[in-house]
Amino acid sequence: MSSSTVSVSAPTPTQQHPFQRKIDEIKPSKPDIDFLVMDYLISHGYPRTAAKFAKEAGVPTHLLEEESIEARVEIRHAIHKGDIDTAINKINDLDPQILDKDPALHFALLRLQLIELIRNCTSAPNSDITPAINFASSQLAPRAATNENFLKDLELTMTLIIFLPSNDLQPQLAELLKPELRQQVAAKVNEAILTSMGARGEARIYGLYRARQWSETRAREAGKDLPPSLPLGLEPSPVHANGHGDAADVMVQ
Amino acid sequence: MFRRGSYAQVASGSAGSSQSNPVSARSGQFSHLANSGSIPLGTSSFTHSRHARSIDADGHHGSMSNSLSRSGPVPSYSSQMGYMSGYGGLQDAGAPAFFVPSYLRGSRHAEKLEEAHKARIAVYREQRSTHSSNTGSLSTSSSSVNLHKPGHSYRGLAHEIIERTPAFIEEPVAPWPTRWDEKDKFAQMEVEEDGRLARFAGASKSGHDEAAAVRADFPMPRQCGIYYYEVTVVSKGKDGIIGVGFSEAKVPLNRIPGWEPGSFAYHGDDGLFFTSTTSGKPYGPKYGTLDVIGCGINFRTNTAFFTKNGQYLGPAFKDLKTNVQYYPSIGMKKPNEAIRANFGQEPFAFDIDSIVQQEKATIQQDIALSKGQPREHGSTDETQFIQSLIGQYLAHDGYVETARAFAGEVIGEAQALAADGRANVPYLQTEEDIDAINRQRIRAAILDGDIDKALKHTNAYYPSVLRDNENIYFKLRCRKFIEMIRLCSELNAQVHPHIIPTPPSKRSTASTLNNRNSTATDEYDFEMELDEQLGVHNGAPWGDEEDDDEDDLEAKQKKLQDSTQAMIEYGMELKQEFVNDPRREVKRALEDTFALIAYENVRESSLAPLLDTSGRIPVAEELNSAILVSLGKSSSAALERLVQQTEALVSELADDGGPGAFINVRKDFLQ
Repeated sequence: MSSSTVSVSAPTPTQQHPFQRKIDEIKPSKPDIDFLVMDYLISHGYPRTAAKFAKEAGVPTHLLEEESIEARVEIRHAIHKGDIDTAINKINDLDPQILDKDPALHFALLRLQLIELIRNCTSAPNSDITPAINFASSQLAPRAATNENFLKDLELTMTLIIFLPSNDLQPQLAELLKPELRQQVAAKVNEAILTSMGARGEARIYGLYRARQWSETRAREAGKDLPPSLPLGLEPSPVHANGHGDAADVMVQ
Repeated sequence: MFRRGSYAQVASGSAGSSQSNPVSARSGQFSHLANSGSIPLGTSSFTHSRHARSIDADGHHGSMSNSLSRSGPVPSYSSQMGYMSGYGGLQDAGAPAFFVPSYLRGSRHAEKLEEAHKARIAVYREQRSTHSSNTGSLSTSSSSVNLHKPGHSYRGLAHEIIERTPAFIEEPVAPWPTRWDEKDKFAQMEVEEDGRLARFAGASKSGHDEAAAVRADFPMPRQCGIYYYEVTVVSKGKDGIIGVGFSEAKVPLNRIPGWEPGSFAYHGDDGLFFTSTTSGKPYGPKYGTLDVIGCGINFRTNTAFFTKNGQYLGPAFKDLKTNVQYYPSIGMKKPNEAIRANFGQEPFAFDIDSIVQQEKATIQQDIALSKGQPREHGSTDETQFIQSLIGQYLAHDGYVETARAFAGEVIGEAQALAADGRANVPYLQTEEDIDAINRQRIRAAILDGDIDKALKHTNAYYPSVLRDNENIYFKLRCRKFIEMIRLCSELNAQVHPHIIPTPPSKRSTASTLNNRNSTATDEYDFEMELDEQLGVHNGAPWGDEEDDDEDDLEAKQKKLQDSTQAMIEYGMELKQEFVNDPRREVKRALEDTFALIAYENVRESSLAPLLDTSGRIPVAEELNSAILVSLGKSSSAALERLVQQTEALVSELADDGGPGAFINVRKDFLQ
């Protein structure tokens, strides 16, 4: 409801794109954005931040009552560290159905565990690789037999035994050792837990961001009159720092 | 000219033409000020109010003649006025209220139209409260006011609002069809039952091609994405020569739609579909008496389709023009033929809701797939990018503690993940930011209603900000006045608890009291302020009131007296300072604020929202932004821009009926 605003921004660039004006006319509601942030903090599992935020921003605290948050944080932490055994146990403590109902997720976790075993087995020369092979044949092979994709993943993972240790892995194999893989699996586990509890699996902000990407792509395809780029002004980029340092204005040029 | 009638007509269901008269709308808002006589700010006239009131008494379609006569001589309408007044009694009973077709509920376009409708209702209530003060019945009983719900109580009276375009609706929102248009029909067509029923009234022995058609009052809005309406054949007459479809605005109405260029229709006598020509193509079954025929356009695919008795008949035409507007249109040829339209006032026979849901689902899937697209902004993946967005927002908005906790948790996460124990956390602002703490202090003060403290801090830390942003300074001063009125109103409620059924929280009263002596209470602990702020937001239980002793009453009455005195003094001071300000928005804000004290019981008035604590948020945000700009930082956080850009891009994709029409950013992504 705030009536027209006397310009608070840095001197207006010589030519403002009409679309920029449309953007500026939209006044997002503060409670909406705070909700978005709170939703992210809860579903991603940042309980301490969420508690502080509820206090500082005066956001309704009922979201804080999400009961699985501590367990989810612990599970994520375990997966990130590579302690898959602990993670699987904790997931099953929470709800054994989660992994039973999602064989792909279960397999992904077990494969992550196999990768860690292989990593450990091969870290020293002449060390014993038997534990890795035993684990693969007892835990993964039976599952892989029923699913072609699982089988491919298992075979690829096993080739690590041959090449490790190495600094010059082919990209496909190097992927398996990157922390991003653990991050991905951890995120999937988090989603699965939330879904199992009847919550939305993914934080709202992801959908919003995708909608932003999608709508820009579509609008450009449709030949709408848009500025060449629509940055969000996230980076504190010295490149763009003109005298006023206002990224919002820079981006319309 | 009737096509350009105020969009308000739709909401109120009138087909009448009207002149918008924003000036009168404004002046109406201040007239109670003049009535109150305490602060001679308003210059508006009683005459206007009285005029408006007479319309109430006259009733409904009388409003049309009223609005016309008010806006000057429009002789050409005199015949219609006569027609309308002869008709009024009948239309009165069922005057349609605002409706949303089932398949459009929750859509962005429906929300926009509803907002526009509510704005008009609000203006109307404003008028109404003016009337009541004119008649001296100021002490409206508290409960009855709340019971008024737009839609039924105002139904008959809603027409009165038509001519007032609220000042804050920037763009007209394209309304959807509501009825057959009395002024856009062939002479041999009769329109009855509030524009729902169309009846052929010509002679049976007319020329070969002679027929009669009628169009709806508004075109099918592309912004709906899909538009759909149904008609029931009330009577097919002898031959059932009936066409149901749509046509452009200029298509002649003396033939059945489908035959003329620019018109498209599905005909009952032969089941053919006609596309701007007299030779149709086989399309569906014939139809006759009591059959329900639906007609829809999917603007995303530019495809027209029909239904019969709830059955989908498939696409009828695939290459509709994207740059013309199509009006629902029907035509008939023989006596006794009659159809009744359903523009969404009633449930549809066909499950159009599912079709729209499917369309939405398809688009949501499409959006979910854009996950795989390469990221910009230099972040390696989505997760990290979102993390940076959140971190930047927390720092930007001055949530110091939260930002610190977030940095801690994110780094902890990254360390667990990193094989070598070294965390790489890009763009996360972890450094202590003294400005952020100051800004948080100022924000907290405003959110707490302590405007003096906010002013003091702002002047101490950012002396240039209020000087350079005079309008923010003005808003803060106004807000302080509002806070004082709030206090008085709360005290008043405590002294006379029977007036107001909802006593405000004692806690917020206490804090506001402290704030008034801000110099003395300035230095109290930051954490305490936060607690108090939360207390205010959560609202203390009413039960607190019961603790009060009878002895308190006297003290409170004294307090109320003092507060009222202080409030009036401050008000005069504020007026002195800004009364000569030429800016329109300043004048208006001043008028709105001063209007508050004209009410004995503000919380029951239409101005109550002004008093709400939520009004503190925008002031706090604006000041925060101004401070950031003064520091050479961006005035809005990247996360806010993400929302803004998404809204703007989606509405770009919705205006022409594209995929954006099926997205409601707020409902679909923010809730």
